[in-house]
Amino acid sequence: MASQRSLPSAPGGAGTRYRDLLLRGGPFIALVILCVFLSMATPHFATLDNMFNITRQSAFTAILAVGQTFVILTGGIDLSVAAVAALSACVTTVLLTTPLVLFGYDFGILPAPLAIAIGLGVGCACGALNGWIIARFKIPDFIATLGTMTVLRGVALIVTDGLPVPSFQSMSSGAALPSALIQAGSGSVLGIPISAIIALIVALAGFYILRYRALGRAIFAVGGNREAARVAGIDIGRTKIMAYMISGLTAAIAGLIMVGRLNSANALMADGEELRSIAAVVIGGTNLFGGEGGVIGSLVGAVIIGVLNNGLNLLNVSPFWQRIVQGLVIVLVVIFDQWRRRKTAGGN
Amino acid sequence: MTATVLRPSAAPPAGAPVLLRLESIEKAFVGVRALKGVSLELLAGEVQMLLGENGAGKSTLMKILAGEYAPTAGRIVVRGREVAGLTPDSAKALGIGLIHQELSLVPALSVAENICLGRMPTNRFGQIDWKRAHELAAEAVGRLGVAIDPGAEVGRLQIAEQQLVEIARVLEWNPEILLLDEPTSALSDAERERLFAVIRRLKERGVGMIYISHHLAEIPMIADRVTVLRDGSVVGTILPDEADEDRCISMMVGRSLEDQFPKPVVAKGAPALEVAGLSAGKTLQDLSFTLHQGEILGIFGLMGAGQEEVAAALFGLQKSRGRIRINGQDRGIRTPADAIAQGLGLLTRDRRQSLVPMLTVGPNLSLPWLSNRSPWSALQHRRESEEVQRYIADLKIRPATTTTPVRFYSGGNQQKVILARWMSSGASILVFDEPTRGIDVGAKADVFALMGDLVQRGMSVLMISSELNELIGMADRVLVMRGGRVSAELGRHELSQEALLRHAS
Repeated sequence: MASQRSLPSAPGGAGTRYRDLLLRGGPFIALVILCVFLSMATPHFATLDNMFNITRQSAFTAILAVGQTFVILTGGIDLSVAAVAALSACVTTVLLTTPLVLFGYDFGILPAPLAIAIGLGVGCACGALNGWIIARFKIPDFIATLGTMTVLRGVALIVTDGLPVPSFQSMSSGAALPSALIQAGSGSVLGIPISAIIALIVALAGFYILRYRALGRAIFAVGGNREAARVAGIDIGRTKIMAYMISGLTAAIAGLIMVGRLNSANALMADGEELRSIAAVVIGGTNLFGGEGGVIGSLVGAVIIGVLNNGLNLLNVSPFWQRIVQGLVIVLVVIFDQWRRRKTAGGN
Repeated sequence: MTATVLRPSAAPPAGAPVLLRLESIEKAFVGVRALKGVSLELLAGEVQMLLGENGAGKSTLMKILAGEYAPTAGRIVVRGREVAGLTPDSAKALGIGLIHQELSLVPALSVAENICLGRMPTNRFGQIDWKRAHELAAEAVGRLGVAIDPGAEVGRLQIAEQQLVEIARVLEWNPEILLLDEPTSALSDAERERLFAVIRRLKERGVGMIYISHHLAEIPMIADRVTVLRDGSVVGTILPDEADEDRCISMMVGRSLEDQFPKPVVAKGAPALEVAGLSAGKTLQDLSFTLHQGEILGIFGLMGAGQEEVAAALFGLQKSRGRIRINGQDRGIRTPADAIAQGLGLLTRDRRQSLVPMLTVGPNLSLPWLSNRSPWSALQHRRESEEVQRYIADLKIRPATTTTPVRFYSGGNQQKVILARWMSSGASILVFDEPTRGIDVGAKADVFALMGDLVQRGMSVLMISSELNELIGMADRVLVMRGGRVSAELGRHELSQEALLRHAS
C-alpha cells in the first residue's frame, strides 16, 4: 500500500491524464469563465446574433494566429503577419480593379481566382523570404521580421500608390471587387459567418499538419531543442522556412477576408494585428520559447480576445479603459498559465 | 612555515572543533533520488576528500551546502548551530565557499570584474575604482602563484586559467568552510602543486575543506580523511593510509570490474567504418582508423587533445576534411541526415543535445525517421507506438510510460531512449561520445551491457571516452590522442591506466 502511494509522485502516474487535460484545456476554461461572467453582466451578450458577431470579428485574428503558432512553435516570432496581410490584400485588389500591364503586354483586369491565387502566392513568398533571411544569415527572428514588416508596408504603399483600393477613380470607371471575395468577408451560411468557417478550416488544417505530418513533428523538435533536432538529421533551415511560409499564407488568407469585410484594401490596413495574433497564440497556451502548444489553443485565444472586446463594448466601457483591460488580461492569462505549468509539470 | 610546507599533509590538531555536520541529507529530483541520507562531519583544519563516480551525488551535496539546492530532508549544522533554508547568500554569510566544477564565471567580464563581482571597490564619488579593482584581482590570483592579466576577458582565457580565477574569486572572501568540486580537473601538475600549497596554508588557518576529485593519486598528497559516496549514500570514511586504489575503486563502484563491464567475446568482422585523414575544428588533425563489425574501438585523450571533435566531424555536425568509407564504399557525410542515411548513430556527450525535453519517448525515438523524408510525408504513429513499447520493455526504460516528457527521466534512462532511437533508425555504427557522463552506477552497467549486446548483433561501436576504467573494461582497441593526432594504438591486452595516460600526456 505504501509503495502504491509513493508511485504517483513520479510523473506519468495516474494523475497525468487529468493534468494533461488541465494543461491543454486551460485557455478553454478561461473562455468559459469569461462567457459565463459576461452572460450574467449583460443580457445582450448571450444572444445568437452576438455570438455570430464575435466569431466574425475573431476570424481575422484567428487565421493570423494559426500561422503565427507555427512560427512560435519553432521558437521564432513573426512580426510581419499584418504587413503581409495588407500587401496580399492590396496586390489582389489592385489586380482586380486596374488593368495589369507587364513588359508592354496588357493583361487587362485579371479573373478573380487568378488574382486571389497571386495574393496568396505573395503571402507565401513573403513568408519564404522571412524564413530564408533567418535561416541563411542566422539573425534573430524578431529582428528579421521587424525589418520585413516595415519593408512590406512600403511595398504595399508603392503597389497602391498610397490610395485605398478600389479608389474613387477606379470605382467611377466601374471597378468593383468580385462578390465571392465580399461573401468570404461578410457573408454567412445559415447565419454562420463564412469568415468564421474559413478560420475553422484553416485551424483544422494546421492541426492536421502539426499532428500527422513530418513537418509538424519537425517544427516541435526544432522549437523544443534545436540542437537535438539537428543531431536527429532534421533540416532546421527548411523547417523554419516552411513554418514562415505557412504563416505568410495564413496572413494572406486573413488579408483577403478583411478586404471582403471592409470592401476595400489599403496599405496600412490591419495595423497592430501582428501583436494581437501573438497575444492570441500566447493566451492559447503555446510556449513563446517554442516546442509546446498548438493551433486549437490559438483559436481559443483569438476568441477570448474577441469576446473581451465585444463584452467591454456591451458593458459600455470607454475605449480608453478597454485598452488597459485588454493588456492586463493578456498578462494575467500568461501569469496564470505559467503558474499552472509549474504546478502540472513541476511534479513534486 | 617551511616545516609545514615540507610535510605533505599535516593532520588537523587532535580535538579540532567540528565545523560542519550533515545529518541524513536527502535530495530528490523529479524521478531521481540523488541523495539518500548522507551524513558526514568536517573538522576545522581538515581536508576531507570526497570520492564517488559520476552521478554518485557529490556535486548535488556541494550545491546543497552552498545554498544552491534545498535538501528534501535532513539537517545541516554549522559550528554547532542548525541552519535551515540555506540560500547562496546565507551560505556565504556562514563562511561557506564553493568552487564550482562547471565554472560560475561571467565569460564576457574581465578577471577583475569577476573576482570583485558584487563588491567592486568604489571611490568617494561612488564611481568604480578600477585601479583598486585590478590591484585586488592581481593580488588574489597572485596568491595562487600565477600571473593573469586582471583586465583580460574571462571567456578568452584558457580553461586552466579560468579555473584559477574561479578559485581566486572564492578565496577572496576568506571562507571558513571551503568546498572544492574537482578544482584540478583542468590544471597542469605545476598549477595543481601551487593550489595544494594554498590549501595547506588554509589548513593552518583552520579552514575545513571538502575536496572532490577523480584523481586517486591526490589522496596521499592532500587528504586527511577520505569519504566515499555511491548512489547517493555514504559507503564509508577511511584514512589515507587505508585508501589504496583498489579499495577506493571497489568502494566507489560497489562491485568488481568484471561485473561492471560485461564485455562479450565477439569475432571481428569486415571493416564497417574506415576513416582516413579526418581533420576538423581547431584541434583534430589527420585521424585515420578502421572500425570493424562487432568491434568496440575506444578513443581516449585528455582535454583538448582532439577527441572532442571526432564525433561532430564524423556525424556531419561540423565541417571536416578527410575520407569516410562505410561498408567499403566512399561516403561523403556533410550533414547529420547523410550520416543517418549511412547507418550512423550518435550518442552525444551532453544528453541535452539529443533529446527534445518536452516531448515524450515516442517522438524522441522516431525523430531520425523524419530525416531524408518529405516534410509532407505522414508520421508513422502506429510504428512509433509499437517500437516504443518494444524498446521500453527491451531496454527497461523507466518510467515505463508513453505520456511522460523525457525531461523527467533520469540520465541513464534518457541515455537508453537515445540508444533505442538509433537502434530503431537502423544504425549499424554507433558513436558513443562520453557514454556515461552524469549517469548513476546502475544505469552505467545497463549502458555497458547494451553496448555488449549491440556488438554481439554485429554492430560496431566507436567509444570516445575520458573515463579510463570504462575504456579498459569495454574496448577492444584504444586510439590515444595527443595534440590533435593519434599518439598510440593499444590492443586490449595492452590497456592500463598508466599506458593510456602515458601516451596521452
